Amino acid sequence: MLFVEFRFFWFFLAVFAVYWSLRENRPRKIFLLICSYIFYAAWNWKFLFLLIASSALDYAVGMMLARTENPRTRRGWLIVSLCANLGTIAFFKYYNFFISSAAVLLAWLGLPASVHTLNIIIPVGVSFYTFHSMSYTIDVYRGKMRAVPSIIDVACFIGFFPQMVAGPIVRAAQFLPQLQSLRKFSDVDVRGALVLFLGGFIKKACIADAVSPFADRYFAAPGNFTAASAWLGVLFYAIQIYCDFSGYTDMAIACARLLGYELTMNFRFPYFAQNISDFWHRWHISLSSWLRDYLYIPLGGNRGPRWFVYRNIMITMLLGGLWHGGAWTFVIWGGLHGLALVVHREWQRRIERWPGAGAIMRWLAWPLTIYWVCVAWIFFRAVDLPHAFVALQSFVLLRSPGAEDLGAWMLWIVAALALVHWLNWRGWFAQWWRRIPAPAFAAGYGCAAAVVLLFIPPHYAPFIYFQF
Amino acid sequence: MAKTGKSLLYVAIALAAFVATSAAIHALLPPMIPKGVAAKLNFFTEHKDEFDTVVVGTSRLYYSVSPEIFDKVTRENGLPTRTFNFGIDGMHPPENFYVLEQILKTKPRNLKWVVLEMGDIQTKWDNILGTERAVYWHDWPHTAMTLKKALDPRGNAQWFIKITRLWLARRDFVSNLTLFGKQFTNVGRGADFFPSHDRERFLEADSELGPNHDGYRLAGDAMSTERATIFRQKLAQEVSEARPKFLDPATDQAYRSAAAQIRQAGAAPVFVVAPVLSQTAARFRQTPPAPLLSFNDSRKYPEFYDTKVRIDDAHLTREGAEQFTRLLAQEFARLVRQP
Repeated sequence: MLFVEFRFFWFFLAVFAVYWSLRENRPRKIFLLICSYIFYAAWNWKFLFLLIASSALDYAVGMMLARTENPRTRRGWLIVSLCANLGTIAFFKYYNFFISSAAVLLAWLGLPASVHTLNIIIPVGVSFYTFHSMSYTIDVYRGKMRAVPSIIDVACFIGFFPQMVAGPIVRAAQFLPQLQSLRKFSDVDVRGALVLFLGGFIKKACIADAVSPFADRYFAAPGNFTAASAWLGVLFYAIQIYCDFSGYTDMAIACARLLGYELTMNFRFPYFAQNISDFWHRWHISLSSWLRDYLYIPLGGNRGPRWFVYRNIMITMLLGGLWHGGAWTFVIWGGLHGLALVVHREWQRRIERWPGAGAIMRWLAWPLTIYWVCVAWIFFRAVDLPHAFVALQSFVLLRSPGAEDLGAWMLWIVAALALVHWLNWRGWFAQWWRRIPAPAFAAGYGCAAAVVLLFIPPHYAPFIYFQF
Repeated sequence: MAKTGKSLLYVAIALAAFVATSAAIHALLPPMIPKGVAAKLNFFTEHKDEFDTVVVGTSRLYYSVSPEIFDKVTRENGLPTRTFNFGIDGMHPPENFYVLEQILKTKPRNLKWVVLEMGDIQTKWDNILGTERAVYWHDWPHTAMTLKKALDPRGNAQWFIKITRLWLARRDFVSNLTLFGKQFTNVGRGADFFPSHDRERFLEADSELGPNHDGYRLAGDAMSTERATIFRQKLAQEVSEARPKFLDPATDQAYRSAAAQIRQAGAAPVFVVAPVLSQTAARFRQTPPAPLLSFNDSRKYPEFYDTKVRIDDAHLTREGAEQFTRLLAQEFARLVRQP
């Protein structure tokens, strides 16, 4: 069930109506949990057991951690949780990747091996809910929060339907306290949530799904296209992935907000970042901060010698890339971002000695950042490495491997979208709708929704991040 | 309580505005017709007064009725016609009724006969779900036909069975209602405002209309020996199990209504069942609303069940199509000349 489907509208309407009609917090949470599981089962009910098992295990680990002060025992329980959660991801997402990569390596070493890959279906949202889950046990282990005695609360936190399948990756310490207090409808910013939902819907259904056929066409056979089309294809993909993912996040935050819960902010106009470090403070913030707190800092973070810090950055970004899926293209994507972060740090260290460079970089910072982000997107989107290198050559060296053209007029679409995005960044659409009287807002919202539907394709395209 | 009442009022205002805007846009925009159907409909609209006979149906008629041969045979039989083949791949009921309405809306002045293929109303669109093709005809009357069929597929359901069917056929209900929702709310119509690939459209239109621009396209080759063996086995089973069957109420009513619309447009309906594998003879529950020509009888028409003239279970080769067109034209002429 996708947020842009008609059936989700009816589903959410029913959830909303029943949820707010319940007076007590416990029945509300039980109801939310049932609805979340129905939402997940609509995709594949069999994998619901995995989600329930993950929730039950982390609840149990949390309780065991609360019972003991012995560091060794506590560490043991944490390892159980990490092994179970990471083992789940490793099996479903990386088994085939590691097996086939090992086979290639062995063949390269002159030791050909017969390997068997499995036809594995990746449970939707597995990377997201296991990260939710792990944040709970790690925070309890670290003493940042107390273990929650209610399994309903833990299961509801891990399985909460708006954020379960594609984030934002919510921290237990942020979400569980919200579950423990009764939500009041009078505290809900209904108007803000509705506008956020419609904005997210437009991003996903009207923009991302509309540009995806062009990006798909280019990346299916980059060798057939001109260099100008390579630029268009990559730019369209950059637009698609941003609108798809941030659109989903906006809708998820809006749905949660309508039920009285606040989720983490995940995007802050990432394509206006002035450097790559700034980009990672604006793009998929919930993942980058998760990786920072649970991987980068435990690795040593910014402490220690320079090269040690750079090593930590590279490990974090390579694993961040791998988190997206078992493919070398994702690893390279992470590596390119890691490399850029290292270069940026080194540059900043050196620039302190040369103040003149600051003025030059003010002009070059944004184009360089967006260029590098686009280069990295090539690997993120490409079907495989050979396709990625063809697209990279075309994009970077402006070589045209083929004669097919996506159509130069499409640059106008890119320009128009960039202008709207810029206006939004400058706050043009920020709050004016709050000043409209409520009946006029309701009527305007209805009209706007009807007009928006005109511009969505008749088919539903799944969210890109559902596969992760 | 007053707050809840106010909230509900705002929801009602938003819904009313949504429905009103959707309805207004719906009324302003021309009907959404997908490319394959549009190719034939546009051509027919431009040349509507040149034709007096229209053949409407699925690919079974699209690849099996050659207007050139049909008109020649009817002329030889003293009933000169000028025919256009409006067969379209996969155009099962109720889509055929919607297209028929669009044809009649063009008000063709010389239209005398409409040959309409008979078939059961379909309720499943899984293979085309989410395409323009599945959405465009899902207005309320045609969606209601699918819902009625899903609720009572055999035509003898008691009220409690109908309630059970609500659960059993829930997927059909949801998918058809969703398609209706998309049709009513004009989903995807924004694409009409963007530049289209006209060259591709013209090429496609040309191929849809066939070499003679009469809507007929040549079919493929005869089935392989292996497939022929399987076909013969299936046919033997069909023949042994063949029983006359009443149309379900939804289909029955839909064909009666189509016949009435055709008559209202000043033409006469003729229903046809193509020589398909299924040997079931469909019957109306009461007096048929129009003459019915059934060719799905391998004992009566063995020539159409010879595997040398068949592509598959439903389609005939060029040779088979020519034979079928001749026989259809003769039967048609005989039927029309009857008092």
